[in-house]
Parts: sequence; structure tokens; C-alpha cells
Amino acid sequence: MPRKDPLTGKIKWYKSEGAVAVYSALISILIGMAVGAVIVVIAGLSKANISTSGIVEGIKLVFLGVFSTGRDTAGHLTFGFNGVNLGNMLFRAVPLIMTGLSVAIAFKTGLFNIGAAGQYLMGTMGTLSVALWLGWAGTPKAIAWICAFLVGVALGGLWGCIPGLFKAFFNINEVITCIMTNWIAANLVTWWFDSHELFKNSAEGGKIGYVIPLKNVGVVTPKLLMDKIFAGSQANGGFWIAILIAIAMWVMMTKTTFGYELRACGANRHAAKYAGINDKKNIILSMAIAGCLAAAGASLYYLSGNTEFYWSTYQKLPAEGFNGIPVALLAANHPVGVIFSGIFMSMLNVSGIQLKYLTAYNEYISDIIVGVIVYLSAFSMLFKTMLSKRIKSDHGNVNAEPEPAAEEDAPGDTDEETEKGGQK
Amino acid sequence: MSEYVIEMNHIRKEFPGIVANDDITLQLKKGEIHALLGENGAGKSTLMSVLFGLYQPEAGEIKKNGQVVKINNPNDATDLGIGMVHQHFKLIEVFTVLDNIILGAETTGAMGFLKKKEAREKVIALSEKYGLKVDVDAKVEDISVGMQQRVEILKMLYRDNEILIFDEPTAVLTPQEIDELMEIMRGFAKEGKSILFITHKLNEIMAVSDRVTVLRKGKYIGTVNTKDTNKQELSNMMVGRPVQLQIEKKEAHPGETVLKVEGLTVPSKIHKNNAVNNVSFEVKAGEILCIAGIDGNGQTELIYGLTGLEKATAGTITLCGKDISKASIRNRALSGMSHIPEDRHKHGLVLSYTLEQNIVLQKYKEPRFQNHGFIKFDEVREYAEKLIKEYDVRSGQGPITIARSMSGGNQQKAIIARELDREEPLLIAVQPTRGLDVGAIEHIHNQIVAERDKGHAVLLVSLELEEVMGLSDRILVIYEGEIVGEVDPKKTTAEELGLYMSGAKRQTEGGGADA
Repeated sequence: MPRKDPLTGKIKWYKSEGAVAVYSALISILIGMAVGAVIVVIAGLSKANISTSGIVEGIKLVFLGVFSTGRDTAGHLTFGFNGVNLGNMLFRAVPLIMTGLSVAIAFKTGLFNIGAAGQYLMGTMGTLSVALWLGWAGTPKAIAWICAFLVGVALGGLWGCIPGLFKAFFNINEVITCIMTNWIAANLVTWWFDSHELFKNSAEGGKIGYVIPLKNVGVVTPKLLMDKIFAGSQANGGFWIAILIAIAMWVMMTKTTFGYELRACGANRHAAKYAGINDKKNIILSMAIAGCLAAAGASLYYLSGNTEFYWSTYQKLPAEGFNGIPVALLAANHPVGVIFSGIFMSMLNVSGIQLKYLTAYNEYISDIIVGVIVYLSAFSMLFKTMLSKRIKSDHGNVNAEPEPAAEEDAPGDTDEETEKGGQK
Repeated sequence: MSEYVIEMNHIRKEFPGIVANDDITLQLKKGEIHALLGENGAGKSTLMSVLFGLYQPEAGEIKKNGQVVKINNPNDATDLGIGMVHQHFKLIEVFTVLDNIILGAETTGAMGFLKKKEAREKVIALSEKYGLKVDVDAKVEDISVGMQQRVEILKMLYRDNEILIFDEPTAVLTPQEIDELMEIMRGFAKEGKSILFITHKLNEIMAVSDRVTVLRKGKYIGTVNTKDTNKQELSNMMVGRPVQLQIEKKEAHPGETVLKVEGLTVPSKIHKNNAVNNVSFEVKAGEILCIAGIDGNGQTELIYGLTGLEKATAGTITLCGKDISKASIRNRALSGMSHIPEDRHKHGLVLSYTLEQNIVLQKYKEPRFQNHGFIKFDEVREYAEKLIKEYDVRSGQGPITIARSMSGGNQQKAIIARELDREEPLLIAVQPTRGLDVGAIEHIHNQIVAERDKGHAVLLVSLELEEVMGLSDRILVIYEGEIVGEVDPKKTTAEELGLYMSGAKRQTEGGGADA
């Protein structure tokens, strides 16, 4: 292990594994945004109505869209603090952070939760229905809020349990059951709102297929200072709740015996079993927690009050569910890292909207950037090993005392194979 | 013509932070079996990788028949007639034996179609000539490890290799298969093929090799004629200090029964019969009971059944007077059972965890290490440091070393430290010295004997006859899932044990033997 300081014997923080994970994520992001800029150029050149200065503006907005403050009287783009953009960025980050956490926690237990979309929908259904019911029934708003949140979370947890149960007891791959439960949820939710007229928003003309927004019954998340900082935006206290949950997840995974067990199950199920850890229980619990987290994202999103839910989901699963995967990957499955990668993904989203309103480009550019980053996040492991090697070879001779392990590691180490085999 | 078919002169190979080969010279005569001896990490595999073209040396030269040659990749090595059987076989599991043998050296006809018939005839001819029994049409995933090795050997012969490298070929074989392999190697040598035999097992070197080159910590120690040396001298050369080969232990004083097993039956995952069939025995305090047998006769399943890793379908297990037949894995462990598992990577360690996290793998739930579910990191660190010191576990970064980056011997030491420190009345040790070198084996054997002398019961499962004979106080032989004999190691011979192990001899219920 040459990554040690020659004097103290400690690893320098900027060479630690965590730092390397951050660098590799940043590389993915930079390449993704660079590709986005290239696409802005290509699209600009191929369209007659976009001039050279339009292309430059497009590139500026790709990188700095969230700080855009519109155009001045001369027609130039202006940049600065934009409370609405920044606030909306944080607001839209909440569901991404939560589904990102959902995927990350499952990953740590060795499970691939591709079912966040379904869990998200179940959370949406539970929260909206309970909030509207209790709102109409005149329940105190705070109690209604808590009940709506908890019912949504519980439904998501239940939905996450299903693939966990199949995995634990019948060893059925969770990816398959997750995809199936996604579509079951999509149809279930459509059926629920289709068959319950009372939830349908018929008051506002032209809005067909939407559930009544929660602001109508007043069961909404308090702003908790967010309206002061980001005036005019949709940001609310849900963001603080998401951060608290992320930190709680980090504590759970790294500081508790429960997290120790979960990670042991994920890293080596056989060794966990040998140590007397109930692997079946942990697989189910891990998926249930993942489900709860995804559903909490939905609850917080709809409890903002202004957001409206289009219930005919049977044709299309919510993108938040799948965007949780790149959010988790970018953060290397670190619960606190997920906060930042979630905000970043949401920033791209806001930049896309700025592109749409301020230039002749449309907002799908940001989808392309997200796509490239998703693609590259799969490479982030590669970047990680490349960076680790560089750091190692830079400091190859720091350690005077060679270790017996070093030689075994270098030529054809077989540990990796053994462990992989064990996980199958 | 040079006297030597292959010469590796003054080879130096460095890896970041370590010199794996430091001025090593190895000279191989035509028609000899030359053993390359050294502990894990001595640089044997690196040297062979240099010869095989996988690594380029920083200094030194390789000569073939007196001519300097440059080996840039394994294809160059093959062209020079060098072939290698790797420790971990390089076979494609879903291909047939024949396809694996011809892969990379296919004979093709017009349009690039394979000429399998000719290849098949050649392979069958080779296998008959050298007594290498293989089923050419079977898929590799379906054949035994021994046969897989014969496939690897046939691969070398099919390519007309003259210099054959065997990298730890006996590690995966049963005693009978080892004997067969030795015979085959002698046949090759007689024919004029030259063999490099990498191993750390002294018995095999004495049995089959002509000369021995010893490496230690990347340095060349010397080359000796096998007939002029002995096991003790070789092991001293290898380890660098006098090693005690004989296990020294006092008379056992068995006390009360600690573990009582009655009629234990564990189903097999591979075939329809029971892997363990109606097995009964007792282990007493202060004795080492060894389950001997050829690999695959139910030892693994017996231990799984005892520890709860697999469900037994019948039988009772009593540990310290308590019936644990239906107890969970954790409750069995808490009832007084520590377990050094057979496969340290599968069960023994979470490789991506740090050393300290692995050291508390069985103990993290104890109030000492957690408070309301929160891990007490300081306590864990302190405890890990104590064990690392006491059991001399060496690693790069101490408690925070990732287990994967440790050497096999130190990984095993960590597991042994963890299990012995629990001070449970029963220790189950399954092949505790597998894949370790002489120095580490000596250390572990002494610890197991010390455990017995403390009055703990030890249940040992071993495939190594020497270990069985040297370490145990009582031997039970298992054959096809049944106990076929109980012998006293002081009164029996390796030959007699071999007869029981191969199923040729069996004791009746009354205790007498019949053939």
C-alpha cells in the first residue's frame, strides 16, 4: 500500500479512496458536459436559425444555466444569483436524492434495485390519497402530513419487500422481479386513480388526467426558510428532510452493527452466513429500506403542494426511479455523496429549461448530457482504477519495507475471482 | 550444444515497491525434473511468468540451448517449446475437452474449417501413450479436477512442447492422483522432456525431482541435487531458519465429551444420495479428533451440518450437553463452537472489509463492541491490534488493511486469531493449513496443539496424510459419507489409512476390520 505519507504513515486525504471516487465522478461529469457542449455546437451548425453567437450562448447555458438571470436590454445573456433557478434545482433534487439513496443502499447489500420507479409510484399513490382524505376530513394539517408521508413510505417499503422476498427465499434475481413490480405498480396506480373520481382534478378546465394538487387541501411541507433564501421558487423543507435522511443512512451503514451486517451480506453472503448473520432477513430488510427511500422521494415531491400527478402511468414509468441509478453511481453509492450527485443531476435539468426559454435550443440537450454521464458512470470504476494506479506508481518507493502480499497481488491475483464466484 | 536446455541467468524483476526476483539463476538440463522450491511470495511464480513471457525482466538473460532468446509473450514461449500448467487452470468450462486442447492451435482445412477428426485422433493417441485418461467429448465443467489437470497437460503435449512447467500441480489433487501425476512426470523425463516443477511440498520434491533450486524472499539461495539433500535441509533453506517438521506434542488427556453427534445425515447438493449418511462420533475435551478422507467424501457437508451452514435431515448434535440440532448458525457458535472454515475466501473473510472488521466478524454483537447497535470503533481497533500482535498477523496497514490485499498465509492467521481467541470449548478446524508454506504450517500446528492442551476439544478435517498422522490423537476415516474406521495414529501406517480412505477396507460395527 504505497499511498502512505512517509513521515506519518497515514494516507493523505487527497489520495484516499474516497477522494479518488470523487475525482472519477468529476471526470465523468466533465466529459458528459463537454459532450453536451459539442452537441450544442453540432445542433447549432446544422440549424439555420441558430447563429454563431447563439451557439456560444448555448454552451454558456449548458455550464452555467442555473446562474442565468435572463437577458439584459441589449439582448445579452446575464448571469448572477438566481433564487428561482437555484431553489427549483434543490426542489427537484429531492426525489433524485431519495431514489439515489434507494439504489445506493441496495447496492451496498449486493442488490440492484431497479424497482425504484415502482416504489416511487406506490409512495405517490399512498401519500396523495391519504393527504387528500385527511385534508378533506379536517384532520390537523401536521398530523395529516405525517400520516400521508408515513403511508407513502410504508407502501414503497412493502413494494421493495416483494423482490427481496423472492430473492431471499427462491433466489430469483431481484432485477427481474423489480421490473415486474414496476409495471404492476404502474397499472395499480392507474387503476386506483381511474376508479376513484374524488381524487381527479376536474376544477381546473383542460387538466385531464391529473390528481388534485395537495395545496388545495393545505397538506404541504413547511418551507423551513427555503422561501426566504430562494424566493419565488418551489424549494421547501423537503430538501432538509432529504439531507437528514441521507446522513441517517450514512450513519446506519457505517456506524451500526446493522449496517455492518448489511454490507457483509452484500460483500460476501457466504461469510455473512458463516458469522451467523441472517442473510435472508437482511436481503429483505435492505430491499424494504430501499423501497421506503424511493417512496419518501415521491412523498416529499408531491407534499410540496404545487406538483401535480398525471396518473395514467401504465404507459410510462417515472424517470425519477431510473435516474436514481446514475445518481447512486456518480456518488459511488456513498449516502452523503448522493446529496451532491442528486443536486448536480437536478442542476442539469434546470439548465435544460433555461436553454429552452432563452435560446432556440430545446431542453432535451440536458437529457443527452445526463445520458452521457450515465454511460460514463459505468466507466467510473475504470477511471477509479486508472487513478489509483497513477497514485500508486507516483509513490511506489515511499515504503521501504516490502510486504509479502505485494508480490501475490501483482501477478494474476485470484482473490477477485474467488469472491465473484462466491457471490453468484 | 549447451548442457542446459533452458538457462535463466541473473534475472531481476521489480514491481512497484518490491523486488520480486533479485539476481536469480535457474538452469534446466534436458530430461531432468527440476523442482523450484520457495515459500508463498518467494518469487517462484514471477520467475515462471518471466520464462513464459508474461513479464519482461529488468535485467538478466534467457538462453535456450545456449542461444540467447527474447520471450515477449506466451506465443514466443510456445514457439520455443515451453508449455505451462497453471495453478488455476486456464480452461473454458463450457467447451469440451477436445475443444480446449486444440484451442489456439487448431488445424484447419480449406475455408478455415476445423479438422476435428485429425485433432481428435492425435489427442487420443497422446492420452493413450502417456496414460492420461480423459474423456475427449465431456465438457470441462463436468469433469473432475484431476481430469482437468490432465487436459492441461495434454494441451502442452498437443503443442509438442519440450519444456513443461507445472505450477503447484498437486495442490488440487487427491493422494492417488498425486501418485499418478508423479508417474506421468517421470515418463516425460525419460522421454527427454524437461520439467520445471514448482512446489512447496517437500515430500513430492524428494519423490520425483532430480535437482532443486531454492528461492527465498525473491533471492536465489542455491541449487542442490535431490539425492544429496534431505527434507530438513531443504526446509531450512526455504524458510531461512531451522524448521521443526515433526509436530511435538505431549500425550493427550481426554476429558469429558464436548461434542456428541448421533446419526447425522446431510443430503448432497450434487447427487441423490446423502453426502453424510448416519454419522456418529464424539469429541472429548483435550483431544484432537481428525476426520481423514479423500476430498469429496462428505467432509465439507459434515462440517456444514455441524455448524448449521446446511440443514441436516436427521440426527442429533449435542454440544456441551445442549442439543443444538435445530439451532441457528449463531446460536450454535454461541453455544461453544469456533470454526476455522475450509474456504477462507468464501466463508472465512469478507475480503472487501478491513482486517479489524474481519476480526470482529463473530463478535461484533457482543456488548463489548456495540452500544445499542452502534459499533464501538475504539474497542474494535484496540481488540484487533491486540490480536494482530499476539498472533503475528502481518499486513500493510495494520487493522485498516483491506483483507483482500493480504497474503494467503496472513489471511489464514487472521481467521485463526479470531477463532482461537473466542476460547470456545470446541474448535472445528477444516484444512487449516491448506495452501500455506512450511513456516506458517508449523505455527498453526503448534497453536492447534496448544488449544488441545488448554483442555478444548478439537475436530480437525484434513486431506494431508502427514498432518492427519502427526497432529491427531484419534482418526476417523470417512468414505462416501460414512465413517469406515477409527484408528490410533500411533498404531497405524499411512498405507493402512490409504486403504480405509479408498474404501478398500472397512471396520465392522464391533470394531474389528474386514477387507
